[in-house]
Amino acid sequence: MTSSVISLKGVTKSYGAGAVRTPVLRGVSLDVAPGELVALVGQSGSGKSTLLNIIGGLDKADDGDITVLGHAFRSTSEQSLARLRNTSIGFVFQAFNLLDHLTCLGNVTLPASFAPITGDVAARGREALDRVGLSQYAERRPSELSGGQKQRVAIARALFGRPKLLLCDEPTGNLDSATGAEVIEFFQKLNSNDGVTLVIVTHERRVSSIAKRVIAMRDGEIVEGEAAAAVAPGADVGGPA
Amino acid sequence: MMPTGNLARMVVANATRSPKHFVLSAFGIVVGIAAFSFFLAGTLGVSDVLLGKVFPLDQVEVIAPHTSIAGKNLSQKLTADTVAEIKARPEVAEALPRMTLQFPAVGYGKFEGQDIRFEVGGFTDGIPDVHVADDPKLVDVFKDWGNDPANNGPACVPGQPKNCPDPAWQYCDNVDKVCRKRVPVIISPTVLELYNTQVADSHGLPHIGAMEQFIAERGRERMHFWMGLGSTMMAGSNVDIDPTKHRDIGAILVGVSPKARRVGLTIPIGYVERWNRTFVGDKAASEYSSIIVTLRHKDRLATFAQWLEDGPKLKLEDQLGSSFATAIFVIRWVLLGIAFVIVIISAINIAHNFFMQVSERRREIGVLRAVGATRADVMAIILGESAVIGVVSGVLGVLLGFLASLLVDWGLALAPDFPFKPQTLFRFTWWNIAGSLSVSLAFCVLGGLLPARRASRMEPAAALAQN
Repeated sequence: MTSSVISLKGVTKSYGAGAVRTPVLRGVSLDVAPGELVALVGQSGSGKSTLLNIIGGLDKADDGDITVLGHAFRSTSEQSLARLRNTSIGFVFQAFNLLDHLTCLGNVTLPASFAPITGDVAARGREALDRVGLSQYAERRPSELSGGQKQRVAIARALFGRPKLLLCDEPTGNLDSATGAEVIEFFQKLNSNDGVTLVIVTHERRVSSIAKRVIAMRDGEIVEGEAAAAVAPGADVGGPA
Repeated sequence: MMPTGNLARMVVANATRSPKHFVLSAFGIVVGIAAFSFFLAGTLGVSDVLLGKVFPLDQVEVIAPHTSIAGKNLSQKLTADTVAEIKARPEVAEALPRMTLQFPAVGYGKFEGQDIRFEVGGFTDGIPDVHVADDPKLVDVFKDWGNDPANNGPACVPGQPKNCPDPAWQYCDNVDKVCRKRVPVIISPTVLELYNTQVADSHGLPHIGAMEQFIAERGRERMHFWMGLGSTMMAGSNVDIDPTKHRDIGAILVGVSPKARRVGLTIPIGYVERWNRTFVGDKAASEYSSIIVTLRHKDRLATFAQWLEDGPKLKLEDQLGSSFATAIFVIRWVLLGIAFVIVIISAINIAHNFFMQVSERRREIGVLRAVGATRADVMAIILGESAVIGVVSGVLGVLLGFLASLLVDWGLALAPDFPFKPQTLFRFTWWNIAGSLSVSLAFCVLGGLLPARRASRMEPAAALAQN
């Protein structure tokens, strides 16, 4: 399926070695079409975050074929993968992962350090902050912000490179329900208005409720039917493709 | 690879964001580089004094080994042929003969109102005047005026005051009764130092700093003295000189030169040749006491010395200089070795600090990788940070070393005078400074290498997982 944004075939991943080798992904296959908003749900340790990291090139699979935005990882160099993360993939983490020694603007424009971006980088950073409603906090340090504001700065950083794919790992996990709802709404608009493909790892039903497709994972595998319903009760759980 | 400007900005911001880490990493290197530049400049400065003034090594003196049987001097003779043979060597830039006065002679006169007498026979050498031609203070006055009528005359009456038209430079010859140019005499810095440190105070005589200034203050006449050829103040001399040959020659001390004989007087060689011929014979006027050899470079000394022993069976007059050169060479490397050890320990300290930093900054490194940094970018950032520490520490270290040298020189200035006391014991050269900075940079980068490698090999997901 060459039109897929994400195409995984038989992806496996284990941690440890020898007798303590623990399989985390057991032959995961998955296709995500352009413009989809996919929720990855499952219990802790089911392999969702590992799968997300592998899709983003932050971790390596032991086996299987991975193609993201037309790049087959098996034949993609480390430099090309870094370039892909820099220009086409945005990451949003549960822990925000902002650098405290930089201002909000500095955090947002961090990707520009690794690419010869033309134009006014600061203006582009302010524009990204404006999109998340924090342009007035550009010169503040992350330590001066609330959790919700930090996450919005992290989202602005993810959007700085105008990515085609946004990978979010428990983006509302550290937020109160009101702030979490704002973030979810923002993702929904981003998907519907800008056509950005989103894959969101979540435990929360309200996140999975906005997803066009919910993929359930258990013990390193994608599950369907009753098993899926047990993993994500009430959600309209879809299959891998 | 990230753009260089971005890399530089990020590296400087990272290196300076934690003053504590910066000081911890830089301190040892600053001390090490300060020691490195201080020792290097110190050994160069001391070497300049010892090997440039006390034992000039690019200029050596060749003599024939002394051999005697039954009280007879059977030493090999140095002649014009020997001079030519030495001059033909590739190591040699110039070879000039030196001839010693081979008969009794005494120096006498008045100095600061005191009668002085000293032996000059055997303690006076003649050298070609071209040997001091590079000294602007001596080039016009250290000459063999000979008997040329242009340089002598008119007739005079011995013993009369101001009996010659130019009394500063002329004297009345008591045999020929004609005004002659005084024989120009130079002494070595060693003689001047011996006078200042051993004679002046004990005999109530004035210290002489710069000879030219002393002459300018007191007048040329104060530099006059007489050389009584054929006379001696030595008891028990077996040489009988025909009393009719005795002669008093007017002399004038014209300056100080390291090319003068170390202890004694030095005059133009023409006078010595003529006087040796008159008082001893033709043979004495054609045999040289030594040959002054200017080498093309100090490094050629060993080769030349070996050839002297193997070829013409001659030797260097003074082995002390080369011994000092060897000692200073060894001391320099021992001191630099100590400085290197300090720098190496500091580099290990830097490595330790950076390992800690890399561990503390795992999540930051993970973020950088997530937003597009390659392994090479991460490596360049960490190495760049260590390079910044290297450059800053190098500059601070050289400054500290320089300040320490000023302190030592200040202490030296306060110390009592001693022979060959220099104004400074240090010589900072561009290559000394560049070398110190390079060592600092190299060792800091070396210290950052393993931590940088570890940081670049971190998987981003694992790095981000750090709590």
